[in-house]
Amino acid sequence: MDRKEILIELKKVLTPYTENKEMLEGINEQTDLIKDLKINSANLVDIIIDAEAQYSIEIDFDAAEKMYNVGNCIDVISEKINKPA
Amino acid sequence: MISAGNDIVALQAVDTQRTQSPAFYSKFINPAEHALYKPDEISLVNFVWLLWSAKESAYKYLKRFDAELVFAPAKITVQQLRIRTPLKTNADAHNQYSGKLRANDVALSFLSVITDQFIATTIDKGDVKWAVKQIETSDYESQSKAVRSFLLDDLKMPGTTIEKHPAGYPVLLKDGKELDVAISFAHHDRYISYSIANS
Repeated sequence: MDRKEILIELKKVLTPYTENKEMLEGINEQTDLIKDLKINSANLVDIIIDAEAQYSIEIDFDAAEKMYNVGNCIDVISEKINKPA
Repeated sequence: MISAGNDIVALQAVDTQRTQSPAFYSKFINPAEHALYKPDEISLVNFVWLLWSAKESAYKYLKRFDAELVFAPAKITVQQLRIRTPLKTNADAHNQYSGKLRANDVALSFLSVITDQFIATTIDKGDVKWAVKQIETSDYESQSKAVRSFLLDDLKMPGTTIEKHPAGYPVLLKDGKELDVAISFAHHDRYISYSIANS
């Protein structure tokens, strides 16, 4: 799965947690989850849990703390997906 | 330098079933923190979100000292949690807590109230005033405007305005000059809260 494909799936993960659907449609790697998408911080763990289910991966919080913008989310997901079993 | 940090969690807006799953809370609560959980004093849902709100409050408090700080709740450790007597807040609280936490090398105390509707927390440093209010709408713009108006209405100081520091935290000004107080805002769903600290 390349970065573009991960981004498409990531939009689905983020959809329930942002009211700014227009901005979600146009997100790029610099988009900040809280500042730009106005996602409440109380939902950050929900996003991690949903991402784990979406990509069949496990995200520890050391990795999760990097997931404050879209590019970093893709970095973490990409690394976990491509990690040898 | 004075700072402030607070948080609020609207309990109607959280997934209570998911909250009680170890897969969820273990993302930011370590085994030593989980040992603070006393089922006869607090529900697991309230315990989990109380720790979350304490950690978020600490992050906001510390952000004033480190603009590059990233919220990493697993690296903020709650070390003590106690039920205590009435707090300096307008909330009609059912349960009130105090606690201690550590973030990197910094030790901080916090105060929390839990009602059926929300969990509100503030860092307890300096002379802190703290308040919670329910609002009609839950969209981000309404929350943001409402919490600013809430504080300014309570202050009753003509010429007072609020601006956002480039690092993201709010600052209070009077006649355009920054005041020597620290403020912090929180909102979640239909609840807003502010904390204001004097040195």
